[in-house]
Amino acid sequence: MVEKVRKLPKTFQYFKDEDAFAGGVAFCAGCPLELTLRVLSKVMGRQTVIVGTPSCSAPVLYGQNVGAWHKLPYYSCLMTGVASSATGLTRYYKKAGQDVNVVCFTGDGCAADIGFQTLSGAAERNENFIYVCYENEGYMNTGIQRSSTTPIGATTSTTPVGVAGRGKNTQAKNLPLIMAMHNIPYTATATLSHMDDLAKKMQKAMEKKKEGLVYLHIFCPCPVGWGIESDMSIQVCREAVKTNYFPLWEAENGKFKLTQTVSSPDPITKYTKMFKKFNHLTEKELAVIQAEVDHNFAFLKHLTEFGAHGQPAESPENNA
Amino acid sequence: MKAKKGELKVITGNSAAAYGAMLCRPDVVASYPITPQTEVVEQLSKFHADGVLEAEMIEVEGENSAMNAVAAATLAGGRAFTATSSWGLVYMYDAVLQAAGFRAPVVMANVNRETPGILAVSSGQQDMIQTRDAGWIQVIVENSQEILDTIIMAFRLAEDYDIQLPVMVNYDGFYISYLAEGVRIPAKDDVDQFLAVLKTQPKRTIMDPTHPIGAGSHGLMTEFMELRYKHCAALDRAKKKFDEIDKDYGDFFGRSYGGQIEEYRTEDADFVILTSGSAVGTSRTVVDAKRAEGVKVGLIKLRMFRPFPQEKLIKAIKGKKAVGVIDRSVNFGWNSGPIYTELRALYPEIGPMPILSFIDGLASIDITKPHIERVIDDVANAAKGKPYQAVTWIPLEERE
Repeated sequence: MVEKVRKLPKTFQYFKDEDAFAGGVAFCAGCPLELTLRVLSKVMGRQTVIVGTPSCSAPVLYGQNVGAWHKLPYYSCLMTGVASSATGLTRYYKKAGQDVNVVCFTGDGCAADIGFQTLSGAAERNENFIYVCYENEGYMNTGIQRSSTTPIGATTSTTPVGVAGRGKNTQAKNLPLIMAMHNIPYTATATLSHMDDLAKKMQKAMEKKKEGLVYLHIFCPCPVGWGIESDMSIQVCREAVKTNYFPLWEAENGKFKLTQTVSSPDPITKYTKMFKKFNHLTEKELAVIQAEVDHNFAFLKHLTEFGAHGQPAESPENNA
Repeated sequence: MKAKKGELKVITGNSAAAYGAMLCRPDVVASYPITPQTEVVEQLSKFHADGVLEAEMIEVEGENSAMNAVAAATLAGGRAFTATSSWGLVYMYDAVLQAAGFRAPVVMANVNRETPGILAVSSGQQDMIQTRDAGWIQVIVENSQEILDTIIMAFRLAEDYDIQLPVMVNYDGFYISYLAEGVRIPAKDDVDQFLAVLKTQPKRTIMDPTHPIGAGSHGLMTEFMELRYKHCAALDRAKKKFDEIDKDYGDFFGRSYGGQIEEYRTEDADFVILTSGSAVGTSRTVVDAKRAEGVKVGLIKLRMFRPFPQEKLIKAIKGKKAVGVIDRSVNFGWNSGPIYTELRALYPEIGPMPILSFIDGLASIDITKPHIERVIDDVANAAKGKPYQAVTWIPLEERE
């Protein structure tokens, strides 16, 4: 009798090691962090040192919760010192001739705000490590406060909605684009609804870090902070891509490329109505968000028209 | 066996610091320029460019990153050096606390400078005093030769298996940092030999993916208290270890500094004065002059400030009739000098005697011979049982 062999999903071809995490880890129900970390450990393997901070990932990664363990070495430092500590580790391993993947793993609050200077410094020095930012659009671990990547209009505990308050009143900082503008070898956005794309980019990160700093920006919606049902987080990721709210792209040596094209994008309302943080917004306010999404996407599309560093610009027609 | 004599060069204190670090072959150097330390970074960069220093040089974007980078490099298994001053030390403060808590054996030169105000780009030990409770080993030195020698000793102390703590080597900015004087520069292979003993010790725990460990999960309650207890115990051990290293250094290179403290003409002294850093040289001259007049005064140079050399100080001061302390910084909330306040804590052991605080030399005010003569006169009077003023801000009283 011939057993029917089930074809494994494409994602598996990127896995080189076993999952380094114990079963049943201490993240909130539905949090995309767990899956992100498991995939990361499978793609990047055991020659990896994780560098991070107190954050949502700390209970599992940095020993805060002793019931949830993993087999990777980790260096838990302060939010101000992630990229700089990673620099120190990387440089020593380089001097000692050891091949170790140094991987920073922090939220957007560390990457975009308090740890940004040191991240920017490491990018300019083109240090040979990987920085993974899991983007949940705020300080979720301390109880849902706004960060500089919180989108306009979103309600958080420091931008609450009231008689005078309408949620956050400024635009989000476009961190992946800022990082790409450092002219590092590789910048990419990714999310969990597009697992092949995510795993492929992690694998590429391993290669590109030989040339210098790699920045991966992974969209990880927060069920607790955004008001999402715990079984809906991956759906939210998918809709973020389908609305062009979170386009999937990469920039390799200055060459921007969309890795997922959306033929007819959904209106942003299809995304914003999936969770509570935009519930209070009027049509007019939602139109502001739509306009911003359109602008950001057009801007990104325009960037894809340019060639890599040291190459002439391509014409838009060649870049369908 | 003796080391070679070494080359004699006329160099600044900052250059001496860079030479000291370079001779120890650090794996990683990360530093950010700040007056009056900048020359240290420049000199190390020059060594690197000339191929004399084969370290990974990290041109960081701020002091905070410098401290994080060197601490992480030592925890990965390397030898690392940085240098800073004043606001730079303040800007790296979170990482300074963390480096000590992680038991990262970093060596840092701190070029003492005042903190507040744009005009106070001047000498003063307040920066170092602000980090006294960080858990570091803090040493204060007097001249360029001592800077170089102490940095070499500092690596042996920091990386010793029984210690594993960061060491800060402090010297007065402007006075010593920019002053050029003759310095004997040891041969590299002799420094290698002096540090070779570290290789015979057990390997310290490092960040190695083949043997995964976690750094920074400092446990809760009793676990945390145990770490603090061990940290304090290591600081205690550092006192004797520093004396031993100083002696070894003297035996091998022919120069030693007394370890935790240096006593000058204290043995038969009726009373003593105590100070640190660049003021020590002037104090020796004044003590000699007063001795010639028949005043039985002695001088104690405080080299180790953290851990505080209690035992040595008790031994040196007990039985004297009075002691005066010249501080180049203030102890806010006590309205006195910080080293003075520390010495006051030894009152039960050193016995009843007047202890006088003199605050001098803030913001590059010169601690002059007349200032020190005045200190000696005041302490002499107190030793004779006359009434005395507990705290004196010398330059402010002079002006009246």
